[in-house]
Amino acid sequence: MIKVEGLTRVYGTFTAVDDVSFTAEAGKVTGFLGPNGAGKSTTMRIMVGLTNPTKGRATINGSLYADLPNPGRHVGVLLDASAQHDGRTGREVLTLAAMTMGLPKSRVDEMLELVSLTPSEAKRRIKNYSLGMKQRLGIAHALIGDPKVLILDEPANGLDPAGIRWMRGLLKEYADRGGTVLLSSHLLHEVEQIADELILIGNGRIVAEGTKDTILASQGTAGQSLVTSLDNEALTVALKAKGYSVEPVGTGMRVSAAPAEVGKAALESNVVLTDLRDGGAGLEDIFLQLTAETQRENVAQIHAEGVSA
Amino acid sequence: MSAVSVAPSTPLPAVTKVPFGRLLLVEWRKMTDTRAGRALLIISAGMLLLAMGIVVLVAALNDNFSLGLSAWSSILTIPLSLLTPVLAIMIVTQEWGQRTNMVTFSLEPSRLRVMAAKLVAVVALALVLIAVALVCGVVGNALAAAVGGYDASWSINGEVLAWTIVQQLLYFVSAFGLAMCLLSTPFSIVVVYVDQLLLPLMVWSTLYFIFDWAADVIPFIDMGYALSPFAAGAGSVPAGADLPDVGTQQVLALICSIFLWVVVPVALGAYRVLKSEVK
Repeated sequence: MIKVEGLTRVYGTFTAVDDVSFTAEAGKVTGFLGPNGAGKSTTMRIMVGLTNPTKGRATINGSLYADLPNPGRHVGVLLDASAQHDGRTGREVLTLAAMTMGLPKSRVDEMLELVSLTPSEAKRRIKNYSLGMKQRLGIAHALIGDPKVLILDEPANGLDPAGIRWMRGLLKEYADRGGTVLLSSHLLHEVEQIADELILIGNGRIVAEGTKDTILASQGTAGQSLVTSLDNEALTVALKAKGYSVEPVGTGMRVSAAPAEVGKAALESNVVLTDLRDGGAGLEDIFLQLTAETQRENVAQIHAEGVSA
Repeated sequence: MSAVSVAPSTPLPAVTKVPFGRLLLVEWRKMTDTRAGRALLIISAGMLLLAMGIVVLVAALNDNFSLGLSAWSSILTIPLSLLTPVLAIMIVTQEWGQRTNMVTFSLEPSRLRVMAAKLVAVVALALVLIAVALVCGVVGNALAAAVGGYDASWSINGEVLAWTIVQQLLYFVSAFGLAMCLLSTPFSIVVVYVDQLLLPLMVWSTLYFIFDWAADVIPFIDMGYALSPFAAGAGSVPAGADLPDVGTQQVLALICSIFLWVVVPVALGAYRVLKSEVK
């Protein structure tokens, strides 16, 4: 379990992490989402003691990272897959980690096999690795001590689609065995698929947290439908009679009612529906909306383009 | 791909604090497991052999030339003093340059323990190199005597030898401390060579000749001049120094220069390493 309490990190006048508190629980994959520069990596570096917090603290299974005996055996850390010596071979990198943690050499081969790095690839210098291979090596490095907690910063960067699917399965299995996984990403779809819990961060602050469904519900966008029918006017009258608001959107309408209610109204008023779907905002809309001030691009514009597309 | 499980096939050993000895072994290994590290060691060994070869050649070509073991040992410390500071610098700055410090310090959060392991590992390496240099000296002495046709002199002053080694180690630890302060390979190499080679050869020696006060002041700010009265006869006497006897002033100068070039850099460097953000 990872517990972060009131974490703040200030650089001069810039607050990179602003009073962040959350808990990543055991047996779950927690996704840490935010646009570039939102404070994800800084928060993760503070967790593993590489950056000192200005205020607050982060504990792992109740203790500060610095107090963990042989931390590699408790926490698997992958902050930057490229932060390895170019001149070392992949095998050598894992061997050094195994030596530090006091693990048998056989564990190195086990890990190379786990992340599908072939013996000849393991003998190559990191200089000649692709980003995807570095990422696999980094995951092997994080898992080598069989830790109970994983902290991974953008682990899917550079992996091919098959690699991303493989990693998803790996992390799922790991969490199912009772492990804690915290992974960060700026790629929403990737995290949405594996994370049980989501933490959305923007401008150093948490803007939303919970499961995908609770985040959607908390933003009050549930209970909206997009509908198109053969007789929009009749349907509008029927829906308004039931007290729902209706506004025209494109060839159809947006209704402040769940799809089931709209269907019922259509049935009662004998209107044929040609299209009916949930009109609630997706996670992506909420993500963009909540982190609007920190986005580098104008979100309203993206949003408009998204709708017209 | 998913056939292999995350769980270890055999139970892993119990979790205990990482013992210092293990950190030491890891740091020792890190000095030799990259091409750059190995190249540096090979160059060091090559320079020793080259120095030895040149002297043997001189002995072979000159009729009335003879050299004792003590002269040999001081000749062979020259290539060592040129190269070993680079080893001390690289073991520190490489971690920052290649950003492996993120991995190193997340596996052992006590940065002071890591730096101590580095210092011990690299001092051990320096001692090994000094031992190799002495062996080269013995072999070279025998060889030169054989090809030069004179009787080899095997006398060596233990005290002088000890001071030579102390001097090498002081320069070495000074380089280590400066590297921790600067955390950059090229910057550290420049500063260390300016301090340990250029200043004594170009600036201090000139001042020494020109000004009277220089003889009193320079030993306080330069370790080489401060050490020379102690290591007299070791061949490390800087140009122009007319060795004073060892008195209170010489001892004070030695303490002062060691404080300036060893204690201060190591303390400031350790502080920087402890406080700096690793990213």
